[in-house]
Amino acid sequence: MKHTLKSFFSSLLFFSIAITTAQETTTKGEIPKAPKANTAAPAVSIQKPLSTAIINDTVKKATVVPPKTDRYGVRVGLDLYKITRGLYDRDYKGLELVGDYRLTKKYFLAAELGNENKTTDDDRVNFTTKGSYLKVGFDYNGYENWLDMENIISIGLRYGFSTFNQQLNSYRIYNANPYFQETPTIASGRKFEGLSASWIEVVAGIKAKVFDNVFMGFSLRLNRLVTNKEPDNFSNLYIPGFNRTYDGNFGVGFNYTVTYFVPIFKKKVAPKVVIKK
Amino acid sequence: MFAIKYKNMQMKKIVVFIMLLACAFSSCEKDDICDANTPTTPRLIIEFYDFDNPSVLKNVSNLRVIGQGMTEPLLFGGAPTTSGSKIALPLRTVGTTTTFSLTLNSGNSNPALIDEDIIRFDYSTQELFVSRACGYKSNFTLDPTTPFTHTDPIAANQRWIRFISVEKNSITNENETHLKIFF
Repeated sequence: MKHTLKSFFSSLLFFSIAITTAQETTTKGEIPKAPKANTAAPAVSIQKPLSTAIINDTVKKATVVPPKTDRYGVRVGLDLYKITRGLYDRDYKGLELVGDYRLTKKYFLAAELGNENKTTDDDRVNFTTKGSYLKVGFDYNGYENWLDMENIISIGLRYGFSTFNQQLNSYRIYNANPYFQETPTIASGRKFEGLSASWIEVVAGIKAKVFDNVFMGFSLRLNRLVTNKEPDNFSNLYIPGFNRTYDGNFGVGFNYTVTYFVPIFKKKVAPKVVIKK
Repeated sequence: MFAIKYKNMQMKKIVVFIMLLACAFSSCEKDDICDANTPTTPRLIIEFYDFDNPSVLKNVSNLRVIGQGMTEPLLFGGAPTTSGSKIALPLRTVGTTTTFSLTLNSGNSNPALIDEDIIRFDYSTQELFVSRACGYKSNFTLDPTTPFTHTDPIAANQRWIRFISVEKNSITNENETHLKIFF
C-alpha cells in the first residue's frame, strides 16, 4: 500500500510538471512604452479598449485582444479517492465534499467537509476511528490562464477541525526481554469518545477544466496539529481529515477531486492591447 | 520579458513546493519500529548483598536462574549463569505471578555446594500505552502483603538466600533496585 501510494504521488508530481510546462507562454509580446514625443492623443488611445480606428502615427499595427471575462461562482464536488478506497478496502469508508467560491481574480474561499470510518491494523495496535471533519480556508491561484481557460494551480491554507472517537480493538504488550515468549494479542474493545483535534493545513493543488464546468483536481496537504484532545492511556494515531499522525505533530494528506462549477456572475477583465511596431 | 521570467519563477516555486510535499510523504516512516531506548515493560532488578555486612554488595557465584515452566535458563549477556551482584528478571505479563528458581554454584563439581532456592513473586499489572510502534507496556506492583514467597525444593533449612528486602513495590523502570537479596 505504501509503495503504491508512493508511485501514485510520483505520477501526480509528473503530471503537475507536465501541465505547468505544457501551457508555458514563451512568445508573449511586450507592451512598449507610449512614445514621449507626442504627448496628446497617443497615450489615450492605448488605454481605450476597442478604439482600433484611432491609430497613432508612430504605431504601424495594433493587435487588440478581445475582452476577457472571468466567471465567478461556486464549485462543488467530492473526493474520488475516498470513495473508491471504500470499494476495495473493507477497513475504510470515507466521504469528502469539497467546495470553493471565487472571491477575487486570484483568491478562492475553500472548504472540505468529510466523514471517515477507518480501522488501522498496526503491528502492535488495531483500532477503529470514526468521525467527521471540516476544513475552511482559502486558495491562491498562481496560474495566469490563456484566453478563457480556467485552470488553477494554487497554494492555500486551511484550518481543520475534527470530532471523532476511537475504539481499541486489540493490542500487544511490548517486552524487550521476552524470556517467557509471551506475545499474545489482547482483545480490548475499549472505546474513547468525545475526542477532537484541530490543525493548520498547507495545500498545494491543481484543478483543470476537463469539459464545460467540470474540473478534475488533486491537492497535496501538509498538516500540523494545533490542538489534540488525546484519550486516556491511548493516542490519536489517526485523526479523520488529518490522517495518520507522526511524531512532531505533522501529517500529510491528499485528495483527488471532481468538481462542478456553478457560474453566478461574470466580470470583464480590462483587455491588454498588444501593439507592434 | 520580465513578466515571463516572473511567471516562470512562480511556477518553479509551486513545483518545488509540491516536490517537498511529496518528499515529506515518502519519508518519516521510522516510527514503525520500537526504539530500543524507549522504556517499555521493565524487569525486576535484584541486587545481592552480604548478609554479614548488609551495606556491601556481594557477587554470587555461578547463579543459574530458570523460570517455572521453562526449560532454558535465563541468559545473562548470553551466558546461562552469572557471577555478578545484580540481575534483572523478566516478569510474566500474562497473569499476576512468576516463579523463579535460583541455583547457586550451578554446575559445580561438588554437589554439596549446589543450592536451589525458589522465589514466587505476586503482583498486579498496569498496562500503559507507549507508542504506535511499541504498543503497550506493562508495569508491575508487587503485592503489598506477600510480594514474594521464598521456598526451598529440598529442605527449608538449606536456603542459601537468608533475607529478602523489597526496596520498591512498584516496578516502573529498570533504573532502580526493586529487591535486595542478602546471603
